[in-house]
Amino acid sequence: MGGFFSSIFSSLFGTREMRILILGLDGAGKTTILYRLQVGEVVTTIPTIGFNVETVTYKNLKFQVWDLGGQTSIRPYWRCYYSNTDAVIYVVDSCDRDRIGISKSELVAMLEEEELRKAILVVFANKQDMEQAMTPSEMANALGLPALKDRKWQIFKTSATKGTGLDEAMEWLVETLKSRQ
Amino acid sequence: MFAKLKKKIAEETAVAQRPGGSTRIPRSVSKESVASMGADSGDDFASDGSSSREDLSSQLLRRNEQIRKLEARLSDYAEQVRNLQKIKEKLEIALEKHQDSSMRKFQEQNETFQAHRAKMAEELALALARKDQEWSEKMDQLEKDKRFLTTQLQEMKKQSLSLFQKRDEIDELEGFQQQEISKVKHMLLKKEECLGKMEQELEARTRELNRTQEELVTSNQMSSDLNQRIEELQRHCSALEEQRNHVTSSKAFSERRIVILEQKEQELQALTQQLSIDLQKVTAETQEKEKIITHLQEKVISLEKTLEQNLSGEDHVQELLKEKTVADQNLEDTRQQLLAARSSHTKAIDLLETQVKDLEQSLQATEEQLSQSRDVVVAQEAQIQKLITENQESSLSQQQVLALEQHCREHTHALEAQIEALEQTRVADQIASEQGMCALLTLQRQLQQENMALKESRNECERALQHHQVELKKLQDEWSQREIVSVAMAQALEEVRKQREELQQQAAQLTTIIEEKNRNLCEKDDVLLHKEQELRQLEKGHDSALLQIHQLQSELEALRSCRAQEAAGHATTGEGPLQLQGQEPLVIAKAMQGSEYEIQAAEGTPNGEVEAMDLEQLQKEKQDLEQQLTEKNKIMKQMQQRMLELKKTLQKELKIRPDSELFEVREKTSPEIPNMAPSVTNNADLTDAREINFEYLKHVVLKFMSCRESEAFHLIKAVSVLLNFSQEEENMLKETLEYKMSWFGSKPAPKGSIRPSISNPRIPWS
Repeated sequence: MGGFFSSIFSSLFGTREMRILILGLDGAGKTTILYRLQVGEVVTTIPTIGFNVETVTYKNLKFQVWDLGGQTSIRPYWRCYYSNTDAVIYVVDSCDRDRIGISKSELVAMLEEEELRKAILVVFANKQDMEQAMTPSEMANALGLPALKDRKWQIFKTSATKGTGLDEAMEWLVETLKSRQ
Repeated sequence: MFAKLKKKIAEETAVAQRPGGSTRIPRSVSKESVASMGADSGDDFASDGSSSREDLSSQLLRRNEQIRKLEARLSDYAEQVRNLQKIKEKLEIALEKHQDSSMRKFQEQNETFQAHRAKMAEELALALARKDQEWSEKMDQLEKDKRFLTTQLQEMKKQSLSLFQKRDEIDELEGFQQQEISKVKHMLLKKEECLGKMEQELEARTRELNRTQEELVTSNQMSSDLNQRIEELQRHCSALEEQRNHVTSSKAFSERRIVILEQKEQELQALTQQLSIDLQKVTAETQEKEKIITHLQEKVISLEKTLEQNLSGEDHVQELLKEKTVADQNLEDTRQQLLAARSSHTKAIDLLETQVKDLEQSLQATEEQLSQSRDVVVAQEAQIQKLITENQESSLSQQQVLALEQHCREHTHALEAQIEALEQTRVADQIASEQGMCALLTLQRQLQQENMALKESRNECERALQHHQVELKKLQDEWSQREIVSVAMAQALEEVRKQREELQQQAAQLTTIIEEKNRNLCEKDDVLLHKEQELRQLEKGHDSALLQIHQLQSELEALRSCRAQEAAGHATTGEGPLQLQGQEPLVIAKAMQGSEYEIQAAEGTPNGEVEAMDLEQLQKEKQDLEQQLTEKNKIMKQMQQRMLELKKTLQKELKIRPDSELFEVREKTSPEIPNMAPSVTNNADLTDAREINFEYLKHVVLKFMSCRESEAFHLIKAVSVLLNFSQEEENMLKETLEYKMSWFGSKPAPKGSIRPSISNPRIPWS
């Protein structure tokens, strides 16, 4: 009932909170990205065992952004948060060439979920400020993104510590979400 | 402060210069003060000393001590005073030096100041003279101005007085005007009231007129109806009169007939009387004839007697006889005549009687007809009378109608006259009011100028009023808008209610579906429990088989030992069989009772044979037992294989579960726990994962408790997965959260089945 009323009021006032998940392997920079989006600062983070949830307002759109811990043992719990998700930000460490395969398999498993069938996928090729970072096209190929069907996706090269690329990515996400409504 | 200080210092220096060495006065004063203090204390003591001598001595002693102390103090004070005096002297010296220097400076400054002052005084005097001249000129001008102004003031006062007078006059005039206006207004209002009343009356009258006209129309209609009825009745009356004439003619006709019939009756009666007279005559004749006949017969008889007496006279007799026969013939003729007359009489009488009867019948019929016709006539006469009365009534009603019409006409005339009068009065009133207004206008023209101010103020007030009205309109508009909004809101609320009802229906449907699913789950649970029981039974069978094997092995060992002993006995003494007899029943008590009996039976036989027999039997038994053992071993191996297979499948399922079947209902996983638990605990790598999982659980639960309800709603699934909540528990959590988030609704009742079931084993962290 409450959900019903909240939906009515959200439809009345047009400020429905978009639900966004930030996923990715441990150490990819999810929490840094979340707080860079929310407060615009680089915060010192510890490995997230659990999750962080923050409300981010971007261009009059409210996002409820969930940053879920990416450690191997708690990755299975990602699926508990999939319902009613509007978009997924998948963060990949551009320098971690060894685990790109694991990242891909996790991504593929995630995208197969029925609850995420309508979710928009934004891939952040993070840590672009580092040397030996993979290019976005290289990463897209490594993650098998070109093979995706029935999915709106885009890859952006970002650096959470420098703050580059995040605005473009959010811009694209906002436009895509607005156009989808 | 410093000036004061300087003054003081100057005075002091002045004093110090005059007496010379009088600077030590303060010191002596201080000494005296100290001494006086001591003296004062002594005086105090002396005043107290009159109480008693003993006390006095002791007090004296004390006082002496005190005095000593005070003296010591005094000496200290004296030293301090000396020190202070030294400091003072130093200070005074310094002060003197300072004063000298300051005095010099002061004198210099004073000189310069006086010089400046003199210059300034001269300048000021010059300036003052100039200013005086200027001021005197200005004063003259001002005095002139003042005179002019005073004259003006007087004029102004006069003017103001006149103004006040005028104002008073104006006020009075305004008062008069207002009074007059109020009077006029009052009159106008009265007139208007009168007019309104007149109009009301007029309306009432017109209504009455209309009513009367309507009544007239209705009465006209009624009169026309009545006329029609009268015409009908007249027609009816004429018809009845015709009928009556007809009836009267018929009556006259019948009366005539009656008269005729009566005449006929009289004739008939006369006839009957004649006939009866004739009859009487005839009877008298017949009686006479019979008398004649009897006379004749007597004559005959006498003649015959005479004859008989006069036989001789035959001629005569013959003649007599002839006469007699003639007489007889005559007699018979008369008799026949008489008979004929009688028959004719009777016939005539019969005829007459029949005629009389007919006539009487006809008379009766006519009389009946007459009576009927009379009745008819009477009825018709009554009808005619009724009709006449009705006719009279209708004429009366017509007269009434006419009277009403006249009355109405008169009424309408009167009303019209009244209306005219009212109109005239109204016109007169209007004229009067116009005249009054003209009179007033003249007044008003005079007063209009004064009125203007009032009007302006009034206009201002009106503007303010208009402004207020505008504001009021705006507020009303706002109000209406809000009303519209509230109406819209109410509509939205109604829609919401409808949707809510629909949702409730859906919820009810869903609950029914859920209940069905729960039932299915229960059934599946039962099946699973059955399977579990089967598994347990199998385990028990396995255990029992293992026990049997153990027993058999122990028995086998015992048998082997027996065999060894037997072999020993076989080599040495005959005590063996006895030992055997003693041991064997103990060892093979349960399994080989038959053989025991055989052994017991073989006691009597010689040793060698017995031993051989026993050996063979034992060997056979051993073989049998070994076969049994091998069989049991086979069964055991099969069971173990099955167990292994089951374990493998379980492990496979459990391995698959964390990935694919994480959200499966716990009922499916719970029966497999006893097998699963050791495999998990054996895995040493998972302890780390468990710690992380625990931390994860902690974090999630903490967030679940602390975060917003909308966020917590998304966490229900994670919490229920982490804590292995059942579907019901998860639903309960969702319902309670929804209840918290919603504005309406009732708190979901905790269901009986949802209890933290500790007895139900759960999967540990995987």
